[in-house]
Amino acid sequence: MKAERKRFLLAGVAAIMACMQFTACSGGTSSTGSTASVSSAGSTSAAEESSSAAEESSAAESTGAMSHEDIIKSAAAEGTIGNWGLGNEYEIQALLTKYGLPTDYITMDFTMDQFDSDSVKLASAMTYNELGLVKNDYDGGYGYGDSVSIIDMNDEGVAMLEDNLFTSKAFAEANPNTVKAFVSASMKGWAYACEHPDEAAEIVFEAGSSVSAEHQAYMASEVAKLVTTDMNGNTVSAADVGNMDEAAMQQTLDLAKQYIILEDSTAKDKLASLTLDDIRSTDYLTYDPETDGAPEKTSVSVQLKWLPQAQFMGYYVAQAKGYYDEVGLTVDIISGGGDISETTAVYNGTVDFGVTWVSNLINANAGGMDLLEVAQVYQRSGLVLVYKNSNYGG
Amino acid sequence: MKTKKWLGILSSAGLPLLFGVVIFVLWQTQVLHSWLGTDTITLPLPTRIGEIISQNRDSIGSQVQMTLIVALGGLAAGSILGYLIAVVASIFRKWGAGGLTIVSAFNAIPIVALAPVINNWTRDVSTDVSVRSTLAKIIVVTISCTAAMSVNAFRGLTELKPFSEDLMTSYAAPKIVVFTKLRLPNSLPYVFTALRVSVPASVIGALVTEYFAEDTVGVGRQIRENIVKGQYPTAWAYIATACAIGIGMYIVLMLVERMVLKRRKA
Repeated sequence: MKAERKRFLLAGVAAIMACMQFTACSGGTSSTGSTASVSSAGSTSAAEESSSAAEESSAAESTGAMSHEDIIKSAAAEGTIGNWGLGNEYEIQALLTKYGLPTDYITMDFTMDQFDSDSVKLASAMTYNELGLVKNDYDGGYGYGDSVSIIDMNDEGVAMLEDNLFTSKAFAEANPNTVKAFVSASMKGWAYACEHPDEAAEIVFEAGSSVSAEHQAYMASEVAKLVTTDMNGNTVSAADVGNMDEAAMQQTLDLAKQYIILEDSTAKDKLASLTLDDIRSTDYLTYDPETDGAPEKTSVSVQLKWLPQAQFMGYYVAQAKGYYDEVGLTVDIISGGGDISETTAVYNGTVDFGVTWVSNLINANAGGMDLLEVAQVYQRSGLVLVYKNSNYGG
Repeated sequence: MKTKKWLGILSSAGLPLLFGVVIFVLWQTQVLHSWLGTDTITLPLPTRIGEIISQNRDSIGSQVQMTLIVALGGLAAGSILGYLIAVVASIFRKWGAGGLTIVSAFNAIPIVALAPVINNWTRDVSTDVSVRSTLAKIIVVTISCTAAMSVNAFRGLTELKPFSEDLMTSYAAPKIVVFTKLRLPNSLPYVFTALRVSVPASVIGALVTEYFAEDTVGVGRQIRENIVKGQYPTAWAYIATACAIGIGMYIVLMLVERMVLKRRKA
């Protein structure tokens, strides 16, 4: 450790001279990236993103390709596993722990440039977003096509549930009908969006998309898969959109308790004591205006976790199709991005509803916020680790 | 004489201290919370923050180390580079002033814009992420510390006491002697003026670059992680730590300045 520190200081003094050389180097990386995609285009067998058993065996059979376990171990030894951190890292850490590895990772920025340049060889990617950019060659894409393969968190048994819909316990208690109305209209939007992903993508694109129309369409079709398939690969019917699968929720909570590391002892104790009843309620999934009555608060806002994109298409569709009007709600959809903390925004009443990952909600409740999940939109994890076949004998 | 000195210390140290105590009391009694319209989760009580710091001395200490390496490394590199630029500018006086304007312009680039660019540059330096990430952070801090030093040192090297340069000329002193005997000592107070700006800048620079670094370490990174994760008490523990680093480095600078300049006068 001490020797390393000395090295850092030396590096600092040498920094300026090095500056000039880097500019020359950085020009070289993009060209290596593109050659990799051409040379490795031959091996396509492992590129499919479904059923784990088939994938692993076919990967092992093809010319010298390594098993997922060996790939993960190799990348961990090299220190080339990437994730964004900020609460998105728990599944990766669970995966590393599963294979007896230290839980360190490189922080990725919000591009896939580090993957492209091989400084991150096993990169975190959402199936609906980064993976599409890596594979596809539309605007903003890297065009790797089938020369990349993935390791799916669902198949590895370390999946945690992601995008949900939540509010504060206080708001839910004070406005039960508003919550019910908002949830039911939103889930109607989600069900429609999953049946018509192309139309949903267009609606989102017109609502102020942050990405290209093609990527939006790709995203919509991938998001639909996450909403209508559970962690075991079974289909979830349109009527069950938003339901909370007990086993999946419990797995998420258990992994969260294991991998959320808190330095605040009060929060640590709170985390250890959390049960599913502390973080979610299934009471708001159905709404009947006749028996329940009208919404208490008719003008509500929902804070998204990220920029406007098909990841949140259900809300945009519900808005565009007038589902919110049907239940007597005026809804303001507020997009996120960067370091926006949706849990804090809901907690302090800036907005009424929020979309977050279940692990983030658990984290926030451990910290003392009384938040309540009222619908679980994504039924399986959308997080994968993507790698170039050429880096691992493929 | 003695009472006067004590009064001086009281007014220079006592008033800020009193202000601090008042804020502490308002904060702890939650008066501050009602003024700001916030609660004890987003703005935890000082005692709670102190508790977290004392419970996590080891882990906070290791994060402080990483931040200090970046801040001090960048401060040293930036100050040396800045001084060298000033020396070159004082030798080529005609071009020097214009050159310094360019250096100042570099300083105006926000760290937020700089950090990702430098991350790209350093990607090929090492396969060890902690090495290349630390280097990237140090470069950013270096850039943010260079301008203050070069502008101030340039003044120190060129704005000499009236006639002192003429005196040297009348002694037929070679340029190098004029530099070592006159310019260099004359620039010393200006160096400290520069450091008063760049010491806090180096700490801020280190904290902010950590936000964008590939390696998940440092006090600044912990502030970001904990805020995004909704762990405000822990985030505040790191905010308090960051303040302590800044204040600590400034106090050290003040002491060194007093020692160096006093010795010079004597």
